[in-house]
Amino acid sequence: MSMFADIPVGVGEVYSGERIRWQDTYVEFGGLRVQYKFELVKVRKMDEVVDGKITIIGPDIKDLEPQKSYSLGIFIEVAGSQVEEELEGVIERRIHEYTNYIEGMMHLNQRYDIWIRLSKKSFEKGLNSFHIIGKIYQRLFKSELPIIEKIQITFITDPEKVKEMYDYALKEYEKRDARARGLKDEEVDAFYGCTLCQSFAPTHVCVITPQRYSNCGAISWFDARASARIDPKGPVFRIEKGECIDPVKGEYTGVNDVVKMKSGGEIQRVWLYTAFGYPHTSCGCFEGIAFYIPEVDGFGIVHRGFAELTPIGVPFSKLADSTAGGRQVDGFHGISIEYMRSPKFLQADGGWERVVWVPSAVLERVKDFIPKHLVDKIATEKDAKTVEELKNFLVAKGHPIVKRWEEKAKAEAAAKPVEEKALPAVAAPEAAAEMAVPVSVGVVGGFRIILKNAKIRAERVKIVREKGK
Amino acid sequence: MVSEKNIRVKIDELKSSIGLLKGFELSIGKIVSEEWLEEVGPTQFPKIPDLREWDLKLLQRYKPFYMPFCDLCCLCTFGKCDLTGDKRGACGINMSAQQSRIVLLACCIGAATHAGHARHLIEHLIEKYGRDHPIDVGGGNVEIEAPITRLVCGIRPRTLGDLEEVLSYLEREIVRLLAATHTGQEASNIDFESKVFHAGMIDHVALEIADIAQISALGYPKADPEAPLVELGLGVVDSTKPVIMVVGHNVPPAAAIVDHLIENNLYGGVEVVGLCCTAHDVTRYNPKAKIVGPISWQLRFIRSGVADVVVVDEQCVRTDTIIEAQKVKAPVIATSDVNCIGLPDRTRDSVEKIVEDLVLNGQPGALILDPEKAAEVAVKTALLIAPKRMKFKALPDVSDIIEGAKKCRKCDDCRRACPNDLPVRDALAETLEGNLNALADLYEACVGCGRCESACPVDLPLHSFIVKAAEKRIKEEKYKLRVGRGAIQDVEIRKVGSPIVLGEIPGVVAFVGCANYPNGGTEVAEMAAEFAKRRYIVVASGCAAMSIGMYKDEEGKTPYEAFPGAFDAGGIVNVGSCVSNSHIAGAAIKIASIFAKRRLRANYEEIADYILNRVGAVGVAWGAMSQKAAAIASGFWRLGVPVIVGPHGLKYRRMLLGRKDKPEDWYVYDARTGEKVYVGPAPEHLFYAAETKEEAMVMIAKLCMRPNDTTRGRAIKLSNYIDLHKRFFGTMPDDIHLFVRTLADVPLTMREEVIKILEEKGWKENIIPDPTLLPRLVRKKAGE
Repeated sequence: MSMFADIPVGVGEVYSGERIRWQDTYVEFGGLRVQYKFELVKVRKMDEVVDGKITIIGPDIKDLEPQKSYSLGIFIEVAGSQVEEELEGVIERRIHEYTNYIEGMMHLNQRYDIWIRLSKKSFEKGLNSFHIIGKIYQRLFKSELPIIEKIQITFITDPEKVKEMYDYALKEYEKRDARARGLKDEEVDAFYGCTLCQSFAPTHVCVITPQRYSNCGAISWFDARASARIDPKGPVFRIEKGECIDPVKGEYTGVNDVVKMKSGGEIQRVWLYTAFGYPHTSCGCFEGIAFYIPEVDGFGIVHRGFAELTPIGVPFSKLADSTAGGRQVDGFHGISIEYMRSPKFLQADGGWERVVWVPSAVLERVKDFIPKHLVDKIATEKDAKTVEELKNFLVAKGHPIVKRWEEKAKAEAAAKPVEEKALPAVAAPEAAAEMAVPVSVGVVGGFRIILKNAKIRAERVKIVREKGK
Repeated sequence: MVSEKNIRVKIDELKSSIGLLKGFELSIGKIVSEEWLEEVGPTQFPKIPDLREWDLKLLQRYKPFYMPFCDLCCLCTFGKCDLTGDKRGACGINMSAQQSRIVLLACCIGAATHAGHARHLIEHLIEKYGRDHPIDVGGGNVEIEAPITRLVCGIRPRTLGDLEEVLSYLEREIVRLLAATHTGQEASNIDFESKVFHAGMIDHVALEIADIAQISALGYPKADPEAPLVELGLGVVDSTKPVIMVVGHNVPPAAAIVDHLIENNLYGGVEVVGLCCTAHDVTRYNPKAKIVGPISWQLRFIRSGVADVVVVDEQCVRTDTIIEAQKVKAPVIATSDVNCIGLPDRTRDSVEKIVEDLVLNGQPGALILDPEKAAEVAVKTALLIAPKRMKFKALPDVSDIIEGAKKCRKCDDCRRACPNDLPVRDALAETLEGNLNALADLYEACVGCGRCESACPVDLPLHSFIVKAAEKRIKEEKYKLRVGRGAIQDVEIRKVGSPIVLGEIPGVVAFVGCANYPNGGTEVAEMAAEFAKRRYIVVASGCAAMSIGMYKDEEGKTPYEAFPGAFDAGGIVNVGSCVSNSHIAGAAIKIASIFAKRRLRANYEEIADYILNRVGAVGVAWGAMSQKAAAIASGFWRLGVPVIVGPHGLKYRRMLLGRKDKPEDWYVYDARTGEKVYVGPAPEHLFYAAETKEEAMVMIAKLCMRPNDTTRGRAIKLSNYIDLHKRFFGTMPDDIHLFVRTLADVPLTMREEVIKILEEKGWKENIIPDPTLLPRLVRKKAGE
């Protein structure tokens, strides 16, 4: 029997994609028309939670006038011997998923920004009370997260009460964020690894630390920790840090061991905070790429949404092609947007001081995390479309990279390798006595070739230029 | 790629420090200077035996299951030979080999058609735009411009001229394949099947080079998710204007018509409407052109008399077009050497003379093998003949229908002749009571073949009766279709990587192929919308893409208006015409390159193994019909992509079915350890005919499962499979336990009921391997 046999509407992952339009909406909670709304999870002590309790403060759904928007607070309190405060954010985000599992319900956004719609059809089928929604939540939470031993849920629709709780919720989010942002890699015993992408990139192992989000930008250290705890045999697992070999580059014995094992020996060591040497591998779904630009000795960053050419003349797709596939590629580094906000971001390479070019859309998203004096010194596509323009911009703005150039101002005049001509001048055989054999491929000297009355016919001759020439 | 052609060097005598040459002659067909450093894989320009081993692996698991469409062989004069039971024919062939042989023959026809089309198109484009015209299918967003060509041929085409070498390869292979079907050649059914796969692969290359050539040269949308919407349906044609109708698959004449109209400032004054794939391609060329509908709309549209000139090119053109067009006094212009329809070759005659003959002298049509000239003739003829024809139509009046009904002998031959078993006789009888609705209702399910008319002993124009009865509905046939966008961007593929592994996108479903649907195109549209709603990525091409557009939701929106055109969860992507199917295969191929950095170049087996084991894509050809469709499907099989066909697909003579009851068939190597691991029947079949839309939908969800699925991915796939099974069959599927590898695979919302079943079935947990069928891909551990 289904675990939702007593629920009047369907509950399942297949309803996740449902979009409910206004004309099909019975009632709406939160969203643009309502100022106060929130959802919040708090971890409590075991004796502070009454398991299964559902409280509604204010009118229930069936008492509301249809086709209107209302304030709503969803307050979930959980307890369990293994449930820690750090998991609150992870548990809270499940509300979004679970609400969308309900047929005829749509949930968008999170925290103080929620937007929920209930369809007329589902209301008519009997989904007319928060008691039903609460029951669904409770069953899903306990089924997916067995570490939750007790759960009580309060739905608040009384606008005054929502407003009161709203301020409390904001403070809680802030506390949580400060805690998360403040957490340093040095302060934890373990990192987490994720091999979800191995289904497509079999040698890629993501290492997730408090200060280094997964490449895809979807999994934080907290998320990973929760996943590993919920499904100990699953694709997200704990990595004991082991000994720190290099705190600047970010090399740890524990990370090396696990990556070696999980990549099938393909990757031997990883430096977490650099794009050189043994950089973190890149799967295929990274949000952005930090790419080294030798001409300026700095990094450009480009994200998936950037459709133009980078100053080095190639688009994201081509750079991504050089970066992806679970390999370590010197100077090509797949990253998440969130990682750019981390103090560990390219730490060994000079961090933001080394970044010279970023698309304006990305700059806008991360500029609060860039040292103030740098923000207007980093070029965007509006400032530089070529390396030449980029150089000029950096000099004009006095980007710290310019100092680096000066320090490194050694002779850079290494002769450019002579390009091998695809086909030597076979057209003038009578010319030089010292002529090389026309078909030059593979002829090294030390022997003579005598051809008499020779006829050579080739349907196709292939000349392969060697690498580096 | 830098290349030079036909270099000759002659040296009578040459002395040098390193050698002596006397009477030396060097002749080189082509010199290619390679800039592409990617290592060449093991199978460059593969011949028939080169991928045979891979084929046998697939055929070992997905064995042919025969459904003879005909018990006899009548290919040679030894015969006819009865092959039923365990009989053999006079040449020694048995039933299974004969069935596979006919399949190969069909696929050779299909591949030859596409390769011929590609040859015609590419030569035309080279002539017009030059051999050095660059290949560009998506600017900076598409790094891999020709995934299939790279994979099969091991070359990276940079210009139109680079495609010529590919054409020669295709033609050579098709000749070899066709030769294998001669009496007393290939003997084994399995080898025939391997050759079928080969023909399919060849076909895909042909599709790709044809489409990338026309995208590059003709300015089609380049991998654009926001390609414009165009008008679709019989009702969108402005019949107050002269109307030129283009039918077929090869766009140059249609494109030339658009050019001619624009150059002469006539564009607003003449309607250009298309049917079948030329319609797709003419709207890719110019989105002001309109699409009447898929292949099945030919007869009804011609009879409606709206078209003043009919221009046919090649493929899927009704062979009675000229007879039908004559009935409405519309001249026909044939433009392809594969389809001369008995018309005199007027290629060298002056435009004026031809127009005069068509407009004034009542000639039924002309064969003009020069697209520009054909275009000029079409436009001038349309302008002159439109006022004379006055949209003369060949449709009866209502009174004619009733008169017809009186003549009906009620023999029911019409129904027997109907491929969809429509009750034509009963519907006609109702008109005697003054009720035209029953007849009009048939219109929805009618594929427009006209076989009812041919069968009628009293020669009633039954198809016309149906069209007339539905006249009102036809006028309302006004829809929108998103213009074929061509390739899928590399960046789009990258973007869906994470949602796929995180279990937010359950799979990719491609609706492709012809339009002889059992219950009308509505079913295709409904399936597409359902899977888009379920956050699958839906792609479409050809007539199926049109059918999806000919549907409106409760808000009056077509699926192309209701769903975005991006290759993303919940998108409906029209790639374009038949040849654009290559972008669907291409997207699957690109996944291997984009996420795993697998080398594509001449590396077919490894990539097919990757796709079979990892890429949850399924093709659906609901209206299976042509030999081209057979070839396209075969290309997908070799690549490891399962194909579901509608009930008519049974006529493809055999299915490729897996046996989930045989656990030994479902082992793969774990590339990490080399151990053999049971992965369950995923994907269960390679070629499957579904009898109903409901059965197809359940099977689509099921065939999206792959051994590499992450637990979250498998959970979302299973929840869709179970949900659809429950919804349509009212029960839990009986094979869930075969698809659950660890408990984390079980969808959260179904946990209790599924775990109960697992317990009943004695289910045991299994590992999720790094799956491959190729032992050589097992990675050696460091130090080994």
